[in-house]
Formats: sequence, structure tokens, C-alpha cells
Amino acid sequence: MSAAATHPFQPQPSAARRSESAIFWLFRGATYFVLLCGAVVFLNIFVKGSRTVFQTQAPFVNTAFFTESPESLYVFQWQGQKMELGDKEFRAFKEKNPAAANVKAESYVYCAGGIFPCIVGTVLLVVGSMAIALTLGVSAAVYLNEYARDGTFIRFVRLAILNLAGVPSIVFGLFGFGMFVIFFGWNVSLLAGWFTLAFMVLPVVITASEESLKAVPKGFREGSLALGATKWQTIYKNVVPYALPGILTSSILGIARVAGETAPIMFTAAYVVRDKLPWQVDHFSDFFFQGVMALPYHIYVVSSKIPQNEYTERVQYGTAFVFLFIVALIATASIVLRSKLRNRYKW
Amino acid sequence: MASSAPADDTHFIAYKGSFRLFGLTLDDCIRVFFGGNAVVSIIVLALITYFLFREGSGFFGQNRDNLTVYRHAGLEYVDFIRTQQDDHAALTRYLSDLRVRQFTHYTMEKGLSLAQANAALASFDDFAGQYGDTVEPIRTLVSDLTEQATAIKEKFTVMEDKKVERTQLLAAGKEAEAAAVRIVPIDFVVELKPILGTLPAYREASAEFAKRLTAVLADAPAMPARELQTRMERFQQLNAEYMAGFPAVTRNLETWDYNKPVPVTQAFSSFLFGRQWLTASFWQDWYGVIPLVVGSIMVSLVALIIAVPLGVGSAIYINQIATPLEQKFIKPCIEFISAIPSVVLGFFGIAVLGQALRALSQVSWLSWVPGFPYSERLNILTAGCLLALIAVPTIFTLAEDALNNVPRAFKEASFALGATRLQTIIRIIVPASLSGIISAVLLGLGRVIGETMVVLLCAGNRIAIPDFTAGLAVITQPVHTMTGIIAQEMGEVVHGSIHYRALFVVGMLLFFLSLAINYAAQRIVRRYRISIG
Amino acid sequence: MDTLAPAPTLRPPSAPAAASSAPGSGPAPAAETLIEIDHVDFFYGAVQALHDISLSIQDKKVTAFIGPSGCGKSTLLRCFNRMNDLIDGTRIAKGSIKIRGIDIHRPDVDVIELRKRVGMVFQKSNPFPKSIYENITYGLKLQGVSNKARLDEVVEKSLRGAALWEEVKDRLHTSGLGLSGGQQQRLCIARAIAVEPEIILMDEPCSALDPVATAKVEELIQTLRTRFTIVIVTHNMQQAARCSDKTAFFYMGKLIEYADTRNIFMNPANPQTEAYVSGRFG
Repeated sequence: MSAAATHPFQPQPSAARRSESAIFWLFRGATYFVLLCGAVVFLNIFVKGSRTVFQTQAPFVNTAFFTESPESLYVFQWQGQKMELGDKEFRAFKEKNPAAANVKAESYVYCAGGIFPCIVGTVLLVVGSMAIALTLGVSAAVYLNEYARDGTFIRFVRLAILNLAGVPSIVFGLFGFGMFVIFFGWNVSLLAGWFTLAFMVLPVVITASEESLKAVPKGFREGSLALGATKWQTIYKNVVPYALPGILTSSILGIARVAGETAPIMFTAAYVVRDKLPWQVDHFSDFFFQGVMALPYHIYVVSSKIPQNEYTERVQYGTAFVFLFIVALIATASIVLRSKLRNRYKW
Repeated sequence: MASSAPADDTHFIAYKGSFRLFGLTLDDCIRVFFGGNAVVSIIVLALITYFLFREGSGFFGQNRDNLTVYRHAGLEYVDFIRTQQDDHAALTRYLSDLRVRQFTHYTMEKGLSLAQANAALASFDDFAGQYGDTVEPIRTLVSDLTEQATAIKEKFTVMEDKKVERTQLLAAGKEAEAAAVRIVPIDFVVELKPILGTLPAYREASAEFAKRLTAVLADAPAMPARELQTRMERFQQLNAEYMAGFPAVTRNLETWDYNKPVPVTQAFSSFLFGRQWLTASFWQDWYGVIPLVVGSIMVSLVALIIAVPLGVGSAIYINQIATPLEQKFIKPCIEFISAIPSVVLGFFGIAVLGQALRALSQVSWLSWVPGFPYSERLNILTAGCLLALIAVPTIFTLAEDALNNVPRAFKEASFALGATRLQTIIRIIVPASLSGIISAVLLGLGRVIGETMVVLLCAGNRIAIPDFTAGLAVITQPVHTMTGIIAQEMGEVVHGSIHYRALFVVGMLLFFLSLAINYAAQRIVRRYRISIG
Repeated sequence: MDTLAPAPTLRPPSAPAAASSAPGSGPAPAAETLIEIDHVDFFYGAVQALHDISLSIQDKKVTAFIGPSGCGKSTLLRCFNRMNDLIDGTRIAKGSIKIRGIDIHRPDVDVIELRKRVGMVFQKSNPFPKSIYENITYGLKLQGVSNKARLDEVVEKSLRGAALWEEVKDRLHTSGLGLSGGQQQRLCIARAIAVEPEIILMDEPCSALDPVATAKVEELIQTLRTRFTIVIVTHNMQQAARCSDKTAFFYMGKLIEYADTRNIFMNPANPQTEAYVSGRFG
């Protein structure tokens, strides 16, 4: 033992070593602290939100919360009991019990019912804006990666994309308001929201698409061209199909961003409340020119625009739960798909 | 030439297809189509600039009109005197602060009961009361003048509205109705006469005020402790300075001319350097962006102070120290955090973090922390903490990329010389990737400064420059931000009004700020990039 | 302009296409020149890669380009089907390249048509990530051939032509990426001959292959020489000696010597050539 301990390479305890391990622990602490903070936010919202979203009896999910519109909650004393009824129930109750017609009820706005219109609105906004952003973004990426030759013009385009990525979302909101809502006269509408959001994620989509196109080996292009394919045939048959999974996967992150943003839709597409569902329109064209309710805006409204009381927490956490769940699902999908894709395509 | 070649040998010549559009082949058209899409990003950037300017540019003209009315209707004149009154109020607040200090001194150090302490302060309270009353003559004057000036402004507004009404009627072709709209032109000289006529009364009131002040200050009570006595002396000195300013006020009033034109630059400077953002006020609207800018900067600063060590630290940890298993697990987790929508974080701030931080601040053994304890649940600190959570993933991802780009050879060479891991990280890896890390921090700043929902929900939304005399405790005060003000007020303003345009100008400021930050980040990366290979 | 006259048949009447499917119909005239390179100067941006190259490549022969790395042999090869168009800043400053007497850089030459006639096999095998069958039919489908029977026929013929049929006939619909390196390269050759080009350009086709696979490809070149004009760029002098009829030696962007392969290796006229083929440099 003692012989082994005296060899020249044995570890020397020193101040440097101790401080090294201390500093490594500091870094480790920082990392796990960040994770902890994230976890606290998630857990808080999932735990408190699940009280609204789930229930103890079958079907265990509060279906009404997902399928109904928001409505006011009425709280009143009835025959010595405290009753809490939603707007519709309350009216039905009054019809059933004529004696209750003049009962004094406290009303709490948005605290009953569900968030169905908000979910629908968010889905519509995401689908429409991503359709626009993907069309524009993928085409732009194809041009940049396949056609463009380096020059002043391309440098400008790249600079524009880089800078566009840094513009705050509220500025996109202002721009959308000034251009689509006011100048084009679309008012607060789906269409205005679509374009505002699409322009906002455009840099994300372009960058993601270009990465994927770059990953397709040069040999595919040369091989195809050498067989007498035109440039377009090459791109369409032998480049884009192989880049497409990558493009879509990376664009999912864009979807998460579109779904999560509030500021751009505040003045372009979101209504505080709307009785009709988006498909209840007189004309087909009206569909595009209607405002919608949206989950993120609803969270904003219920958490700061209405008087706070014991009943608001239910709808606040419920909405936040659903919203966070959707966004987290999209983000997880993107992360998982991306790691799968990395393993799959190795040419 | 082609025809000269034998027909059987020309098989690869000029069969470029028959499709032509404006002289372009199909392939050219496709190319142009894609190219057009690439230009969209430039167009969008140009459109953003254009529309911000289009909606915002009218602001400066309107602001100048706004300032002109302020002068014409005599509001400015009245505000000279009002400032005098406000300064006095500030001095009164100094006295109440002094009282609190004395009170603490009596109860804590001398061990007196509350009643005894109050009794001991009786003479001081008497003094403070008298001091507060000295301003009476001025106050009466100001309140009279306020009414008169407001009336003039009101008349002017009515006239302007009538003018607009007539123009609209004329535009609609309703000549008769337009003619029926009676516009009474305002003769400001006449209207202002009663206000200007109060100058002798002011002189009298001011002299009276000065006399009373001197009298009251002459028998200021002695302070029980040396430190407090110094404060009292400071108070005396402040008052001396204050009274020395009286003649200047009088001179301002004497030389004031309602017809002096408002310079164009003032429309800009009153926005860029204005210290008040005051809208929908009965007296005068001010659009000074300084409180908002300061709010944005303070919140971002707090966020960065928290986020930079965490973000860069975890990037170093993941890139250099962590085991592969940790890397595989933590990287997606941090990316996951970046997916939390900001409105959810804002809600979390309102519902949980604000309360939690306030509760923390009231823990007694933490009272040494500047600003603790505090009572405003929503403030710079709350918003800053949440924004830090937004900035960390951005900084982490970009800094990690930068660390990753350091060539392996650097690290190996350092190890080969017998350096420890920490030495290698500090002396080789971090310096080599410093430009990337700095640009990561800058982009994190860009993200934070442009963030809307968190600050709207959690920064407290008080439009005022925070009180920097509080030292570090300033971070526990509520503020309002550039992004927050747009989000909050845009939905409520009248389209085309000066307020509406002011919000667009704030947007413009944000836009250029973000461009500048972006540009700086790119510059740093490009300038200090190490050439690899 | 008779150039706009009827859509081109795949095969020019003069080319003895039938000959390939019916061997024994006699070899083509020995000295017919197919590609005529006339004093070509070629630039990558400001860098001159080829200096005044003149060379004529004969029909139905295997011509090998040899020389050290960076001597310009691949560059010249890529001029024949204008693949250099894809690289920014390249240009032919002087001279002309004529195929059957037609300058292929003439503005009215359709590069697509040119490439259909001049096939290419690359250094790194590049099967598309599609099935073997789709790889072969890719070129034909581009030309609008959709007849299943015809496609099947071409696939079999091409794979047989590339000596790959026996190995892959049971898995035509599996991915081409699943083949071994040598098989992939032969698949690429099969893909190139499926469109029935006149000329096949091979850019170091064996540089990434092991000796056994190389032997197979060389064997294949021997069988293809009756049907196609082959230009092969190689690093491997033995390979040039084994499978080519004529050899051109390039050095520093200049053509040093061009002669019958036997002469180049046995009796080089130029001392540089001798030094190179005897392995003293390069």
C-alpha cells in the first residue's frame, strides 16, 4: 500500500483542486436551479389546474370545461344553502323555482362554463398562420439554399431575416394593427392575426428549412442533374422530399411560439368574449373577417382584467393548465421528433 | 449556325421547352417565384418600418400643437407657480420622513412608549404643521388660476371640435349644416388677461409666503440626536435654496409670453427626455418616454443580473463538466422551459411568485437585504425574476453553441500541458468563446426588453420614474415599461389621436432598439470570431 | 431553325445504338472524334484551373485522365456535361469544347439535353435514398416515360449492363442505400446508363472502394466500352493502364501528354510523365 502511495503520479491534494470541485458544484447548482424553477412553474400550474380539469367521478375529465363557452357564475343563498350556478343553469333554476326569481345573487364574470371557444380560436390561429408561414418560409429557404448565389442582394435578405427574428412580438402586433386592421380595413380578424403571426415566425421557419435543405447531400443534386433533370425537377423530386421531415419538425417549434404569443394577437385577432363560434357565420367570407377568442388572451383577461375573487382561480388555473399542456405537448413532440430524425437520416 | 450542323448531331441544342411567360422559361419562373418569397422578409421589415412611421410620424406635429395649446391657454404660466407649490410639498414630505426617524429614535433607542414618543414630538408636529400652512397664499392662487386656464383650454378644444365637425360636414356635402356650425374664434390675449392680471397678487402672495417660511424656520425645534440634527440642517439649507429660487419664478412669470412659438425640437425632446407620461388628464397630457424606458431598462437589468450567471453557468456545466447522461436530459429540459408561454409565466407571477417574494421579504432575518420588507406585490423584482426565466434558455442555448464551437484541439493542447479542467475552462474555453457568449447575452437582452406579457402582468404598472435615492431598494418599486404601455393602452385609445400616435412612436423606439441590439450581437460575433483550422 | 423541329429522339440516328443490344454488328470506325477540346482556358473566379488544353476524345473508347491532385483533370471532366455551371464564378475564358462538332457552351444549347446525352458517375457513390428500382427509373421518369413494362425492361437491362442484376434482382424495391459501397457505385452506373447516354463521365469512381469492388467496376468498364464512350478520371495509374485505350496526363492545369495508354506507360515522351507513371512524384 505505502509503496503504491508514493508513486510520482499520485493525486496531490491542493487548493486548486478543492476550488475546482467547489466551482464545479457552483455550476452544477446553477444548472439544477434553472431546472427547479422551470419545474416549480410547471408543477404549480399542473397541480392547481388539474383541480379544474379533472374530477373524481367518471369520466374523470371535466368535459364541460372543454366543451362550453365561458359564462358568469352566480352565487346565492337558497334555503340555507350556498348555491353556485353558471348562467344557463341559473336561468333554468329560476324557471324551475319561481320563488327564486328575485333572489339576490352575486355574479362573477367568466367564472363558470368552459373555454371551448378559446381552444378553437387558438387552433384556428395556429393552423392558418403556420400554413402561411410554411409556404413563404420554405419557398424562401429553397431560394436561398438552391438558387441564390452570394451577392449583395442575398446578404440583404439574410440580414433582414436575422433582424426580423429579433423584433419584439409587440412590435409585430403594432405593425399588424397598423397594416391589416387599419390600413387594409380587415378589423380585428382571423386574417389579420394569421398574417401577423406568420410574419413573426417567418425567420424561425426560414432558418429551420434552410438547415434541413443544407443537410441534404450535394451528391443528390449533382446525381440528379447529371441524369438530365432540370433544376426544378431536382429540387422537387430529389431535395425537398428529403428535407421535408426536418423542415416540419423544426417548424413545430414555430408552432409552439405562435400558439404561445399573446402580444401580436391582442389588437389584431383576439376578442375578450364572443358568443358565436367561428363557424357560425352568415357568409363564407365572414369567416376570415371575424375575431376569435384565444387561450393566451383569455388567460390575460381572467388574470388581470376582471376583479379577482375566490372563484376566478378556478378558471385561471384551468385555462393555464390547458394552454400549457398544449404548448408543452407541441414542444415535446418537436424535441422528440428531432432526436429521432437525427438518428434516422445519416447519409 | 445551328442549321449548318448536321441534323442528326444537334440533338442537345435548344429544346428549352415551349413555355414562355414574359420571355422566361418555366424554370426561370419557378426561380423568380422562390426568389420573390425570399424577398418577403425584406418586404416585411420594410413594411414594419413604414407602418410604424406612418402611424407614429404624426405624433410630433400633434405633440407640438399639444404644447402650443399648453402655452396659449396659460397652463404653462400656471404651472410655474404650481411647481413652486409642488416643491414645497416635497419639502413637507422631507419633514414627515424626519418625523418617522425621530419616532424610531425615541421608541427604539430611548425606549419610550408610543404615547411618550408622540408627546416628545409635539413641538416638532407643531412646527411641521405651521410649515405646511405657509404655502396657503400660493395654493389659493393656483387653484383659482387652474380653473381659469382650464376654462380657456376647454373653449379652445370645443372650437377645434367644431372645426373638425364643419370639415366633416363639408366633406359630406352638407353645406348648410356646415354653415350652421358656429365657430367662435378665441382671442387668447383677452382670455389670458385675467390670468396675467394676477401677477401683482402673486408677488404679494410669494412675498407673504417667503416671510412666513422664514418666520417658521427661525424657530425650528432642536433634534434629539446628532444624525437627526444634521438632517434638520440639511432641511434648512434646502429651504434657503428653495427661497432663493423665488425671484426666478417671478421673472419667469413676468417675461412669459403666450405667443412665443414652441420650437419643433421641443416636440421631440419633450417625448425623448420627458419625465412624465400622463394621459387622459384634466389639466395637461404629457408624453415623456423616460419613465417607460427607465422601467424597461430596470426590469431587463434585474433579469440579466439573474439570468447571465445562471445561463452561462449552466452552459459551461452542460458543455464541459456534465456527464453525457446529464447532457442528454438537461438540454431538452431547458429548451422546454423556453416553450413556456410568457402569459403563463406572467400569470404565475401574479398568482404565486409575487406573493412568495413579498412573504420572503417580510422574513425578519432577511431584512438586511436592500428594499426588504416591501409591500407592493408586483414590482421590478417580480417581473425581473420571471424575465430571467425567459432569458436563461436563450442565453443557455446560444452560449452552449459558442462553447461547442471552440476547437477540440485547444482543449487537448491545454490538457496536454497539465492544466486542470477548471483552468482549461477559465483560461482557454471561455476566452475563446467569449464573443459568442457576449452575443448570447445581448440576444437575451433583446428577448427580455421586447417581452410584453410578463411585464404587463407583473411589473406593477405604475408610470413613474422609480425613486433612485432608495439605492438598491429601487428594485422593489413598481414601474411601467415600453412594451407594457403599448399592450395596455393600445386597445383603449382613439384611432388617430395623439395618444394613439405616441404609442406607435414608443413601438418605433422599441423596434430600433431591438435592431440595434441585434446588430451589436452580430457585430461582436463577426468581429471576434476565432478562425478555426 | 431546324433545331426547333420535332422533339428529339433519345438516340441520334447516326449513333449505333442498335449495335449495343446486338453485339457483333461491327465496331465503330476507330478514329472518329467525339469530343473536341480546343485551347481551353478555365477559371475558378480569378484562379486559372486549366491552361490551354487541346485534346480530342474518340468515340467508343475509354479515355483516362491521370495526374496528381488539383491538376485539373476533374475540372475538365465536369466541363463535358457543364456540371461546373453549378459552381459560382466558373467560366471558360478561351477556347471551346465541341461534342459532335457542336460547341456545348453555345447559348442555344440546352444543358438539360446535354446532360441526358452525357452521363456522369461521381467519386462518392450517391444513390438517392429511394429504392433500387426508383433510382434506375429516375432519369426516365424525368423524361416522361411512365410505361411500367418499359420501365421494368430498362431496369433489368441497366442492372444487367452494370453487372448488378443477379445481386439485387430479388430486392429491387429496397433502398439503394442498403447496398455495399461497390454495389452502390455500380447502381450509380446502372442509373447513368438507363437513360442511354452516349458518353459516360466517371470521376474517380473507385477511389472510395476496396480492391474487390474496384475490380468489379473495372470489369464493368470493359464491358461498357463497346456501347459507350467513357472518360474516366483516376488517381490510380494501374487502373488507367488496365482499362483505358488512351490516357491523358495532366499536371498543374496543363495537358502534358496524350497518347495511347500503352505508350504513356511504356514509352512516355515527356520526362514529367515518366516521373509520374514511375511513381517518383504525385
